[in-house]
Amino acid sequence: MQRIYVHPFPVRLWHWINAVGFVAMMLTGTQIRYVGIIDLMSFRTAVTVHNWIGFVLIGNYFIWLLFYLFTDKIRVYHPELSPTKHFKASFRQLQYYGYGIFKGSPNPHQVSAYDKFNPMQSMMYQVVMFLLVPLLAVTGVLLWDVQGFYGAVDFFGGIRVVDTVHVLIYIFFAFFIFFHVYMGSLGHTPTAHYKAMFVTGYEEIEEEPGHGGATKR
Amino acid sequence: MAGSRKVNTMSMATLHRNLVKAAFAALLMLLPARLMAADAAPADKLSDGDKQCLGCHGFEGPKKELPGGKVLSLHVRGDGFAKSVHGAIGCTSCHADVDLKTHSQKPKTIASSREYSVAMTKVCGGCHADALKQNETSVHAMLLASGNPSAPICTDCHGSHAVTPKTAYDTCVGCHLAAMDAHRKWLPNAGLHLEVVSCAACHAPAAQRMVDLRLYDGATKKWVAEKEGKPEFEKTARAADTDGDGLDAMELRKLIGQLNRDEAAQPKNLRGRIELRIGGEAHQLSGKSKAIKDCAICHRQGAEPFQNVAISIFSADGKPLRYKAQKEVLGSVLSVDSLREFYAVGGTRNILLDILLVLAVLAGLTVPIGHQVLKIIVKGELERAARQDKAAKGRDQP
Ligand code: HEC
Ligand code: HEC
Ligand code: HEC
Ligand code: HEC
Ligand code: HEC
Ligand code: HEC
Ligand code: HEC
Ligand code: HEM
Repeated sequence: MQRIYVHPFPVRLWHWINAVGFVAMMLTGTQIRYVGIIDLMSFRTAVTVHNWIGFVLIGNYFIWLLFYLFTDKIRVYHPELSPTKHFKASFRQLQYYGYGIFKGSPNPHQVSAYDKFNPMQSMMYQVVMFLLVPLLAVTGVLLWDVQGFYGAVDFFGGIRVVDTVHVLIYIFFAFFIFFHVYMGSLGHTPTAHYKAMFVTGYEEIEEEPGHGGATKR
Repeated sequence: MAGSRKVNTMSMATLHRNLVKAAFAALLMLLPARLMAADAAPADKLSDGDKQCLGCHGFEGPKKELPGGKVLSLHVRGDGFAKSVHGAIGCTSCHADVDLKTHSQKPKTIASSREYSVAMTKVCGGCHADALKQNETSVHAMLLASGNPSAPICTDCHGSHAVTPKTAYDTCVGCHLAAMDAHRKWLPNAGLHLEVVSCAACHAPAAQRMVDLRLYDGATKKWVAEKEGKPEFEKTARAADTDGDGLDAMELRKLIGQLNRDEAAQPKNLRGRIELRIGGEAHQLSGKSKAIKDCAICHRQGAEPFQNVAISIFSADGKPLRYKAQKEVLGSVLSVDSLREFYAVGGTRNILLDILLVLAVLAGLTVPIGHQVLKIIVKGELERAARQDKAAKGRDQP
């Protein structure tokens, strides 16, 4: 059994806050949008909580961003520039999740401190962290003070455009949260990734000498 | 105006003489052009009788002394009056007691200007019985009855000689500046709400509300008004409303496009406001404990204010002109641009996005379930293959 330190403390800290915050944002956001259908809390409470946690998450995003910008760990987010290589690797990863994993085949992607994401994770997290989360934050801030940011709201095409973008990303996350939590349970044991991300920072890599030959971890 | 300013210091007798002279002058149209210039055009519309009154009252200066050293200005702006809704009815409709023969000689005793105003506003109800009746139930009328010296009466909100149909809401803030901050304590985006929700929409809870989508000109930063003598809003709207059942989202888009034909100009946009369906119900203001505080009254899908929608602009004399729109325009995808300045979270949401959300959640749930099902199938297959393998091997072995 080999242990690799893949989730440094700032990343874990960011992730704890983000996970709790996101769930709260999804709940309050749903309450705000569906008054009368859902009755978790009053509309007013939902608005107030949504605004506060929103700002906490924006601050929190900078923990993540600054950590990666000022360490060489940013390499985990470097994209694979060759499309053929990327798609081949993604396909292999898909095959693994759709078949190999049930057979007990090894994960075609080998985790290391500088290469912790498989090709599909890598693409997904780039889009999420550099596009969707910032866009969600910007549209959120604009909606927070439509009057004060009148110029910016108008520039982006009016309050309906801004709000629709905010809602579309929310809808994406309504899918992503389920997906993400489930994928997190597909480690060598169901809780392996959770322990790594929420507690230790270390991923445990099982050594299976002789199995598959090519996989040297 | 130097001449008339001197009048202040003159004795009553000289004032009288001067006023008579001035009246004459007015009648003969001999007043200096400078004095009349501002009044000239609109004041021409006034009757001769009114002009006679304005001959003495039409300029600054004359004042009546009241007990306690207070004074009552006797100035009435002729131009403002001529342009007001009451320009046509004449001074004596409200001042029937004025008899020109005895008028300036037999001074009336007026205890205070407030008392005089309160007494005078009784005449308003003579022609505006509905407004009077509605006003009687308001919190302000109760305050007046209980002797509150600053409770507003008709003229505090509407003025006395320059009454226009222009919204009287501007006056609310003048008296209630401190209360504006009080709203911040419980209402997020209070500034926005006070701009897009009329005071009475919350403070006259029994009244019916509506959405008034009013055309705003971003270039001049003003509400769009019809050009004097060239009304075309109603005609343009009617032409856009091809099936005559109120503007739908498509027709509204076309109309906005048409109103913005001039592509070089900054576009005019509709701004939404929650108002009362019947303006006069704004008089039925109740105390703060009854005011609308429940956000869901506006921020719930299908909320009452969103059941009636109209687009509007101001007429040349400041009356809102409305044309009906279908309530569905508020939540339509087609309105993303035509209603780019009006969206109330929860209240005006788009159904397509709701469907998309349900699909997203279903997809999110399908991933774990689907994957587990796949696992069972694949494992089953693998086991069967293994069994067959074993069986085959078993057969091979003797
Ligand atoms: C000759 C000049 C003159 C003319 C013309 C005139 N007024 Fe006056 N008006 C006065 C003077 C002077 C006073 C102040 C009397 C006082 O001290 O009470 C006055 C007072 C008033 C007042 C204050 C309250 C009151 O009744 O005393 C009203 C209202 C008024 N005038 C209305 C009118 C109207 C309406 C007309 C036209 C029908 C008119 N006046 C024409 C000179 C004039
Ligand atoms: C719609 C009713 C109405 C009409 C029409 C009207 N007045 Fe008045 N007038 C009032 C009221 C009400 C007051 C009591 C003062 C107040 O509340 O401002 C008043 C007060 C006055 C006063 C006393 C000084 C003051 O301003 O308070 C004068 C003078 C006067 N009016 C002259 C005129 C003249 C001249 C005309 C025509 C040009 C005229 N009024 C037309 C309602 C009217
Ligand atoms: C002699 C009858 C008469 C009296 C007295 C009178 N008004 Fe009017 N008022 C009218 C008429 C006529 C109109 C114009 C109605 C229209 O244009 O539809 C009008 C219009 C108005 C309007 C605008 C209504 C709208 O459609 O927006 C207001 C506000 C108003 N009056 C307030 C007052 C006040 C305040 C007083 C007392 C100071 C008063 N009126 C006294 C006859 C009167
Ligand atoms: C607290 C301020 C206030 C007071 C006091 C007040 N009004 Fe009004 N009035 C309003 C407002 C606000 C409107 C609605 C204007 C709008 O919809 O743009 C209105 C509308 C009106 C209208 C036109 C609307 C209609 O169709 O009925 C008339 C006429 C009128 N008021 C007369 C009066 C009279 C007469 C009195 C005194 C008995 C009075 N008002 C007292 C604020 C006031
Ligand atoms: C001339 C000044 C004046 C104007 C104009 C005026 N108000 Fe008032 N209003 C008062 C006074 C005085 C009170 C008594 C309570 C206070 O002191 O705040 C009052 C009380 C109220 C209350 C009850 C507050 C409570 O404590 O229950 C409401 C609501 C209100 N006004 C709304 C309005 C609206 C809406 C308008 C405009 C259509 C308006 N007022 C215009 C002077 C005014
Ligand atoms: C979104 C609804 C809403 C709007 C819009 C609104 N109010 Fe209020 N207002 C309330 C409520 C609810 C209260 C009572 C708050 C409380 O419980 O203390 C209140 C309180 C007040 C008070 C009493 C303040 C105090 O506590 O001393 C006044 C006066 C008042 N409003 C005037 C206005 C005026 C004037 C406008 C328009 C410029 C306006 N309101 C717009 C809902 C509203
Ligand atoms: C009388 C109707 C009304 C009531 C009551 C009301 N609102 Fe609003 N609110 C609106 C309208 C209309 C807008 C949209 C403004 C725009 O986009 O032009 C709005 C906008 C907002 C916004 C800004 C986001 C957006 O949609 O533009 C927030 C946040 C908000 N309301 C929260 C609240 C809360 C919290 C309450 C209760 C404490 C409340 N509102 C009560 C009518 C209301
Ligand atoms: C919806 C908001 C969320 C976003 C945007 C998000 C995003 C991310 C990102 C970007 C990573 C990679 C971290 C890194 O940079 O090192 C990650 C990892 C992880 N997340 Fe989340 N996360 C969210 C919510 C959650 C929640 C609610 C949970 C579980 C309760 C969770 C569990 C995990 C786990 C276990 C990992 C590590 C394992 C892996 O990489 O698959 N996440 N998440």
